[in-house]
Amino acid sequence: MAVINFDAELRRAGAEATHGWRRLTFLAQRYLLGTIGLVIMVLFVAMALSADLISRYDPLAVDSAHRLAAPDARHWFGTDSFGRDVWSRIIYGARISLAVGLGSTALGASIGVIVGLASGYLSGWVDLLFQRITDILQSLPLLVLALVMTAALGPSLPNVIIAIAIPLIPTVARVIRANTLALRELPFVEAAKSIGMSEMRIALRHVLPNTLAPLIVLATAQLGSTILTEASLSFLGLGIPEPYPSWGRMLSESAAEYVRVAPWLVIFPGIAISLAVFGTNLFGDALRDILDPRQRG
Amino acid sequence: MRSVRALAVAALCWLSAYDVSLAEGPKSGGILRLYHRDSPGSASIHEGASYSFNVPFMPVFNNLVIFNQHVAQNSVDTIVPELAESWAWSDDKKRLTFKLRKDVKWHDGKPFTSADVKCTFDLLMGKSQQKFRQNPRKSWYNQVNDVAVNGDYEASFNLKRPQPALLSLLASGYTPIYPCHVSPAEMRTKPIGTGPFKFVEFKANESIKLTKNPDYFKKDLPYLDGIEFTIVTNRSTAILGFVSGKFDMTFPTEVSIPLLKDVKSQAPNAICVVEPSNVSTNIIINSSAPPFDNLDIRRALALALDRKAFISILFEGQADIGGTMQPAPAGLWAMPKEMLETIPGYGPDINANREQARKLMQKAGYGPDKHLQIKVSTRNIPIYRDPAIILIDQLKTIYIDAELDVVDTAQWFPKVARKDYSLGLNLTGNAVDEPDQSFYENYSCESERNYTNYCNREIEKLFDQQSVETDTEKRKKLVWEIDKKLQEDVARPIILHSRTGTCWQPYVKNVTVMSNSSYNGYRYEDVWMDK
Amino acid sequence: MLAYIVRRLFLMLVTLFGISVIIFVLLRIVPGNIVDILFDAAGYVDPADKANLEKELGLSDPIVVQYLKWIGGLLHGDLGYSYVSEKSALQEILPRIPITAKLAGLALLFSASIGIPLGVLSAVHQGTRLDYALRVVSLSGLSLPSFWLGLLILMASVSMLGWMPIFNPNPQTWAEAFAIYCIPAMAVGFRSAALTMRITRSSMLEILRQDYIRTARAKGASESSVNYHHALKNAVLPVITVIGIEAAFLIGGLIVTETVFNIPGVARFLVEALRWRDYPIVQNLVMLIAVVVVVVNFAVDMLYAAIDPRIRYGD
Repeated sequence: MAVINFDAELRRAGAEATHGWRRLTFLAQRYLLGTIGLVIMVLFVAMALSADLISRYDPLAVDSAHRLAAPDARHWFGTDSFGRDVWSRIIYGARISLAVGLGSTALGASIGVIVGLASGYLSGWVDLLFQRITDILQSLPLLVLALVMTAALGPSLPNVIIAIAIPLIPTVARVIRANTLALRELPFVEAAKSIGMSEMRIALRHVLPNTLAPLIVLATAQLGSTILTEASLSFLGLGIPEPYPSWGRMLSESAAEYVRVAPWLVIFPGIAISLAVFGTNLFGDALRDILDPRQRG
Repeated sequence: MRSVRALAVAALCWLSAYDVSLAEGPKSGGILRLYHRDSPGSASIHEGASYSFNVPFMPVFNNLVIFNQHVAQNSVDTIVPELAESWAWSDDKKRLTFKLRKDVKWHDGKPFTSADVKCTFDLLMGKSQQKFRQNPRKSWYNQVNDVAVNGDYEASFNLKRPQPALLSLLASGYTPIYPCHVSPAEMRTKPIGTGPFKFVEFKANESIKLTKNPDYFKKDLPYLDGIEFTIVTNRSTAILGFVSGKFDMTFPTEVSIPLLKDVKSQAPNAICVVEPSNVSTNIIINSSAPPFDNLDIRRALALALDRKAFISILFEGQADIGGTMQPAPAGLWAMPKEMLETIPGYGPDINANREQARKLMQKAGYGPDKHLQIKVSTRNIPIYRDPAIILIDQLKTIYIDAELDVVDTAQWFPKVARKDYSLGLNLTGNAVDEPDQSFYENYSCESERNYTNYCNREIEKLFDQQSVETDTEKRKKLVWEIDKKLQEDVARPIILHSRTGTCWQPYVKNVTVMSNSSYNGYRYEDVWMDK
Repeated sequence: MLAYIVRRLFLMLVTLFGISVIIFVLLRIVPGNIVDILFDAAGYVDPADKANLEKELGLSDPIVVQYLKWIGGLLHGDLGYSYVSEKSALQEILPRIPITAKLAGLALLFSASIGIPLGVLSAVHQGTRLDYALRVVSLSGLSLPSFWLGLLILMASVSMLGWMPIFNPNPQTWAEAFAIYCIPAMAVGFRSAALTMRITRSSMLEILRQDYIRTARAKGASESSVNYHHALKNAVLPVITVIGIEAAFLIGGLIVTETVFNIPGVARFLVEALRWRDYPIVQNLVMLIAVVVVVVNFAVDMLYAAIDPRIRYGD
């Protein structure tokens, strides 16, 4: 089972170093791609957090004198049809993507964990009910469900987060349930039971921590796809509304109109989305390699 | 001798010119391929309120009378007969009589008679058994008592009071004659007309197909074998399609100025025209609730607008500033520039205007330390949303912090009707450049389309006064005065009047784009292709 | 076995029933209905007209009645009629299915023919630069938004070829048919190719470690025979599973791709119908998608069970 032991892990990989900086550099070398992914992710998070400091203009400020300016020293990524600075908009856009990515992953994962734990641990009719609900949610593609949800809830940041989180629940619940079922049979759970620990405590103290590894792997893998789903929703006009600078919407409608006069309007937000998702995917892959020994390549 | 030779030369020239004109004369055949900007809700023009209906379905029908399809500026002087052979006003100007053609057949072979005329207008006035699902232009016929027939080939409109504008309304692309023997429901799905083209099929979100009507009452017309519209909602995909030669023509009056540049650089041979479309971008104000129930704040709003900035951002300079009526020279009823500039907010010195606006705001209790927080509501469509973004930016200069409130199309109208907004950004299209149409529809107290509930009985009297006026010059003066008052009352501030482009491949001939309406110029009976 | 199949079929029905309820309720809590939209387009509202129209369309019935009417109709093969076009929903949906099916089929073909060989290559050369490069490529495939890729393809094809693949129901030439189907299929298939490649790689690796492969090696089978004969044969099962599941889920990618390339398939139709609040179309389309997903899942499970004797017929 996925109980992580980093020391054993490192020794197995042949590392002599046992602590500190050297260990870290060893890990970075061994999982080079993952490290690159982590760096990209950290950069994006830093960008989102320090948006007020590093953006050079107000992302919403209209400037009719500098419309569709090509990238130059003033406007690194050019300006859009309103004269708004694309660099600043991409930086603020990182906030939106991050909020949607982290928000919906966290929401979906936590509900998924509760459902998965309950269904795996309690079994019986609870399990049966939750299983059917997961079945239902899993029979609709992510984007289809998110589309109908945003149409029903109306386009706004919290609603988009909810709409993207709900389809994530079954994926997480499935994995947690399977893990819980396996864990229940393990000796230390039996032992806990025999010394009279309550079911609830067993679930929270022993079972939950031991399902963390697969959960982390799964959540990281989903992070990228939530960012992509938000972009697709915005592209279809159902995502986060103006004036928030969402990457997906920057690419759609009005921007597409200027695609040939001002290709930077299409290129930079596209690169931002791809790079952010690429980073989380690289990192997620490495994490899976580290945490999930069965998948190790 | 000399004169004889000159004559001979002249004759030769004339002959050769004749020859050339024969060689270049209209060619029959070919299918005109256009893209369509969206999928109209149905095929029934009378139930539509957007030119997405008129463009594809006007070729299926005829009107009693129609604006000459090859004169860009629609006016009462360019109206020509179509299903009517002639028309005449009675002496008291309260009766308009049409003599009808006798050689017209519906596409299903049944003969066209005066009964069809009566049926059409009874439906529009809500007097018949059958009903339209929607009837957006019912108010056009408020002054019509009834339509009477005299035999199979004469119909007359009896009016409550003289209304010279009625003829122009009847000449709009919005006023086709429907057959009696086909129900409104069938007209929505499989329209039957008398026009140059027959309806073949309409696949929602995919295509609309029309084919030549071989029995069209105008001899040798139409030239085209058919017209096909491919519905392409993504504007840049659509333009790419035109540039690559997939389409013979763009959707009329839909090419934005930035896209037009693109077309010109990619397809230098394409013929493009830019014309005003008689669509205004305006602000609807909820004056029944704070803060805009305060006239000072409304005036401040009007003074804060920098119309030139809107025009340079949205239209790269190619749009017009005016009041309610479309600006000159394309517009017939626009007030002179000198008069326009006396209206608050229209003066050229924006900074001075805004200084004045800030004073008004301070008077109302706001200032640099106390900003007014509002929401600007608009639909989630770029042509609505984009000006709203600029408006919000401009409001910052007068201590107003506005937030954009994007409303789904399905909720926009109910929201406006509930008065659940403070400022709204709106687009108003005028089918006919005619004061009766725009004043009554948008500003009269009882109108269903008067979103702001602006109601001023004094002005309403002036509406009637100009409406019955038969002397055009006198009427113009009245119209200017009314328009100025409407702007001074900040009833519905007009930001700009848009211009749009239409492009076609050089081999497409005989297309005329109207310059004061985007609803009337799509009969396409004599369009041909030199291929 | 039979009991297992019956049980699965029963669960399928339960799932579909659940979806029908959820989608129906979701649509009814959406603020604004088709009547609002129609009147919005007309720019005015007359409450009496509005009530009439709502009654005509059956929107004024209690929600349970509306639901029963819909399900009752479905059981008789009557899908209702589109509020917008006033044609039967079946007539609107059916002609669009082959278009989307063709696209999906081509995308899967593309995904399998690129993804499987590259995945095998990557596994066989595990740890080499080639492996690294291929993994990066596959990850980037999972990272590009497919609508962006489509937009770039369109831009490139017009500026380089002066031509673009715009949809035409009756393509004149082979080249045209190729372009209007294959280019969008590639744009959407790129992502699933990347996924297929990753799955192929990891299942190949797992199998290459198994005992019988070692045995084969020990018995002196050549390296390529081991890799391509013994291992690939066994690795193919999970790959088929993934392709099957991808087939059902491609619809997400198709929604944006059909929008970019203006293809009148079912995927884009769903978005349009949602925009119009055309309930009968949305409901039936979502059910159609769900049925496809559920049936494909079932088929994949059956296939698995038939091929792999280790699967128990339990849950």
